[in-house]
Amino acid sequence: MLIKRKRGWELPESQATPESVFRQRRRLIAGLAAGPILLGAGALLAGRGASPAAAEEADPSAKLYPAKQNMRYRLDRPVTGEELATTYNNYYEFGSSKNIWREAQDLPIRPWTVSIKGMVEKPFEIAIDDLLAKMPLEERLYRHRCVEAWSMAVPWSGFALARLVELAKPLSAAKYLKMVTLEDSDVMPGQRAGWYPWPYTEGLTIAEATNELAFIATGLYGKPIPRQNGAPLRLATPWKYGFKSVKSIVSFEFTDQRPQTFWEEIQPAEYGFWANVNPKVPHPRWSQASERVLGTDERVPTQLFNGYADYVADLYKGMEGEKLYM
Amino acid sequence: MIDFPWNDRAGRFSTVRGAAFALALAPACWLAFEAATGGLGAKPLTEATHQTGLWTIRLLLVTLALTPLRRITGWNRCIVARRLLGLSVFAYAVGHLALYVADQGWDLGQAASEIALRFYLTVGFVALVGLALLAATSTDAAIRRLGRRWQQLHRTVYALAALGVLHFFLQSKIDASEATLMMGFWLLLMGWRAAQRAGAPLGAPRTLTVVALAAGLATAGLEALWYGLATGIPWRLVLAANLTLTPWPRPAWWVLGAGLAAALLPLARARLGRRPLSVSPSRA
Repeated sequence: MLIKRKRGWELPESQATPESVFRQRRRLIAGLAAGPILLGAGALLAGRGASPAAAEEADPSAKLYPAKQNMRYRLDRPVTGEELATTYNNYYEFGSSKNIWREAQDLPIRPWTVSIKGMVEKPFEIAIDDLLAKMPLEERLYRHRCVEAWSMAVPWSGFALARLVELAKPLSAAKYLKMVTLEDSDVMPGQRAGWYPWPYTEGLTIAEATNELAFIATGLYGKPIPRQNGAPLRLATPWKYGFKSVKSIVSFEFTDQRPQTFWEEIQPAEYGFWANVNPKVPHPRWSQASERVLGTDERVPTQLFNGYADYVADLYKGMEGEKLYM
Repeated sequence: MIDFPWNDRAGRFSTVRGAAFALALAPACWLAFEAATGGLGAKPLTEATHQTGLWTIRLLLVTLALTPLRRITGWNRCIVARRLLGLSVFAYAVGHLALYVADQGWDLGQAASEIALRFYLTVGFVALVGLALLAATSTDAAIRRLGRRWQQLHRTVYALAALGVLHFFLQSKIDASEATLMMGFWLLLMGWRAAQRAGAPLGAPRTLTVVALAAGLATAGLEALWYGLATGIPWRLVLAANLTLTPWPRPAWWVLGAGLAAALLPLARARLGRRPLSVSPSRA
């Protein structure tokens, strides 16, 4: 039986600001500041206001969303505005700007094949829509803490990574799960920068991958996940810094070797394999003690494991010698 | 009489100073517009901090380019914009720091401790203190009072610019392309000064071509060195990237291009130099 234990950071839904009101408030403030001096710039403003949602087209998985919310994964803060979460992204395959969502619309997301390989009973490939049909989709509200000391509160839809591991049937000798982003430099100009170790690679231990929090997101804000956020499927590990959450995954490989991850390879002193959130372990260039919540004027204290210690702290017992927080 | 920044010493409007004033003001106006219309994105303070930092180093390099530009082109009047631009550099640097402190929630203790703890911030702060010293001595009275020492003091601006470029490199997450570009322009300016000191005529296209090639090569080499020392990216791959122009030409090419463009300026001087301004141009 599942016993609902209310955690310190959970808030009843009644106290959370509804997203629509929250976003309206932001626009209202922007409008007040801009209005008087910018009446003549209306056309320009209209162009700027175009939301990434306008770039959406028919997605074969659209009918799967919104998925039912799993009430076990709720938050202590209002959900970040959709416009912020879908226009402030890292996607180095398209370029190193945070304002990369337009460029990312070139990503081809159908057909999309996911391969399950390495130390599994029988390697196989599966089309994304077949995979979605096999998986129990649900919505979860997760915090997302970037290593660059900002955070969001995000309504992901998708399925527990543990379900995919079950489907893959890994051999008992497998210790790690390596996940890799699409490599296609014809559509991803950033990948033409040949000094980076493309494709983007991330990894988890099997214990981490089968932890209940490890999630494969295929939807966002009750819709199919936008390309800039990692369509058609990306990882969400909310107790780790955001760069662990690899986007647009094409392969899940089970292995007994710890994967060499993209960021660990290019900047080992700053972005390691474990990357667990810890306010007491600063990045070499900034403190991790607090974070700016996107869309607000405040910095809030960062919590150990991003507030998810109850779920994941046990994973790291006896591993004190590892650089768990970098 | 009000001493407007766009007027010359006689109180008449100066086109050069007017243009310099507009140049110095334009990024701030654009930033204010973006801030008012939500164009700075999800983290407006961070974005504004980056933009002001970027314009600090850009305007500083423009300011430092005026003296060699005068020698290269023989266009003496451009020098009247130097102090104005130099002071605008200081203004952007102050705005840059203020925005950083604002991003720390105006927690001065936190900001001070970060500046002391993080090497890249310390470097930037030292550069800012230096700029403050130069700004404070940028008055006619200070120039008179300090005499020869004024020159010595204000020559430190080259070192301050180097600190600014270092600060730019150190704050890069991984992609140091724009920091490399600024370093390359700094090398170009240093090269022109070195050539001048060595007695090579700056008005000669040959001198400028040699400097352009040297600055371009040094940029490529130092960029590879940076990646080799500060990141896990193989320096050979970065160096080799200069041989392909995709996805975009590396900074070394832009530096070489700027240097070669400057080498064309003396040719323009030969054509235009002696032409009286009031007479309509006629073909020779």
